[in-house]
Amino acid sequence: MSRRDFLRNGARVAALTGVGAVVGTLVHRTSSQTTVWQIDPSKCLRCGRCATECVLDQSAVKCVHSYDLCGYCELCTGYFVPEPNALNTGAENQLCPTGAIQRKYIEDPYYEYTIDEALCIGCGKCVEGCNRFGNGSLYLQVRQHLCLNCNECAIGRACPGDAFRRVPVSQPYLLKTSH
Amino acid sequence: MRRRDALRPTGSSGSNGSRRDFLRRNLQAGGLLGVVGALAGFGPNVRAARSSAENPFAYDIGKFERTNPDLIHYAETARFQSPRPEPRRLALGPDGALHMAAGNSVVRLAEGGAVEFEIALAGPAQCLGVARDGFVYVGLRDHIEVFDARGQRTAVWSPPGSKTWLTGVAVGEDGLFAADSGGRAVLRYDRSGRLLGRIGERDKERGIPGFVLPSPFLDVELQRDGLLRVNNPGRHRVELYTASGDLELAWGKPTAAIDGFCGCCNPINLATLPDGRCVTCEKGLRRVKVYSALGEFESVVAGPESFAQSVPPDVSMAKAALDAVADAQGRIFILDPLAGEIRVMARTRGTASS
Repeated sequence: MSRRDFLRNGARVAALTGVGAVVGTLVHRTSSQTTVWQIDPSKCLRCGRCATECVLDQSAVKCVHSYDLCGYCELCTGYFVPEPNALNTGAENQLCPTGAIQRKYIEDPYYEYTIDEALCIGCGKCVEGCNRFGNGSLYLQVRQHLCLNCNECAIGRACPGDAFRRVPVSQPYLLKTSH
Repeated sequence: MRRRDALRPTGSSGSNGSRRDFLRRNLQAGGLLGVVGALAGFGPNVRAARSSAENPFAYDIGKFERTNPDLIHYAETARFQSPRPEPRRLALGPDGALHMAAGNSVVRLAEGGAVEFEIALAGPAQCLGVARDGFVYVGLRDHIEVFDARGQRTAVWSPPGSKTWLTGVAVGEDGLFAADSGGRAVLRYDRSGRLLGRIGERDKERGIPGFVLPSPFLDVELQRDGLLRVNNPGRHRVELYTASGDLELAWGKPTAAIDGFCGCCNPINLATLPDGRCVTCEKGLRRVKVYSALGEFESVVAGPESFAQSVPPDVSMAKAALDAVADAQGRIFILDPLAGEIRVMARTRGTASS
């Protein structure tokens, strides 16, 4: 075999190997991401572990808001501490430890509440307040653009309600609705 | 076997035996340790118990879940299980017989809770009222059905609106009042089912602020003074209306403390005592209290410690809503749908009429 043939064959083998590696990686990634982690709201106990057990510095679990379930209450128990001094946005009156819920006046006596995801740590304190007294329109979900989709979810392993489960990547959220 | 036995040291019964035995014993021990470890560290029950104690973000209302014993003026005299699943509401008949809306039926109960007779319905019974002549008015989701004292259906009234969601019925001598939480109004009917008017809708000129109902809990009671008692949970108060719809009085304040109404929206259900005092039921902090006819907090019938406070996440608030009725002796019957129980409470301090 001439040196030219040797180099040509070597280049072919290297190219095939590279293509194989790329295809193999893609196949592996696709098959491992056919499902993702999600929280079943009907099992969530609002234990606080979503904030403390995630492998990320700031949990991939966030509070989400089902507006069609919300009562737009003036005294929102997801927003206010159990005995607020006044129904205003004073920090001492807010239940959220990071001030991640925005309160906006709509019309007497209705207010709209919005989650600032960048501030939310997924502790579920507001979720407990909302579910305890209200309609349960606030609930926790794994935000898929943040989640690393670990093989074994650290939060799921610690979840006392066994609320973490795999769902198809095509339907990555378990949403609460009024229907 | 004989050969293997022959190889064992003298006096061995197998406990210090072959490599196979050694491996088997170690695997058994390891398996046991694994099972114990799994139970200790990963069992859902253990994790649940651990979580409640260690949650740094706990929603703490513990101090409101205990009632000052001096404020509790009632004691339980009887308790019985609901004879039917999905109990929702109570009402008293003219002879004091307890009626209950449960599932797709209305049942009349004997003193101990046995079913005396039952009315089967096509859909869930949301609320009910019983007239002096024994006629039973049942609120289904969007309409009222009328039954005579023998349980025969005599009329089906047409739905008053597309959003109608009936959650309370009060029957008087001349008419009937139905609380429509979907339409945010109390509907006034005559006994034939003719709609005579709507009460409680927002009306600035008449000084009526309107009902605020984040969840479907609107109840109506008719007192001997002729005034309607209607809860307005989003405003944390009870409102008194004339039959023609004038707002005469309103009382109540928002607070988790015992003298007010807790959470976003309470009270959820009402009852009236013969002397005009008002019984209120709350959710969130599940408790039953008594207020004077003018709205001054008087006493606790059953505090939060009397009921399971933690509603399972898969159970809707409506299925855990307490209801109450009061009979002519001043006894208060409390329905706890979550436990599927009815409790009979009698006054232990003062007199039933004071």
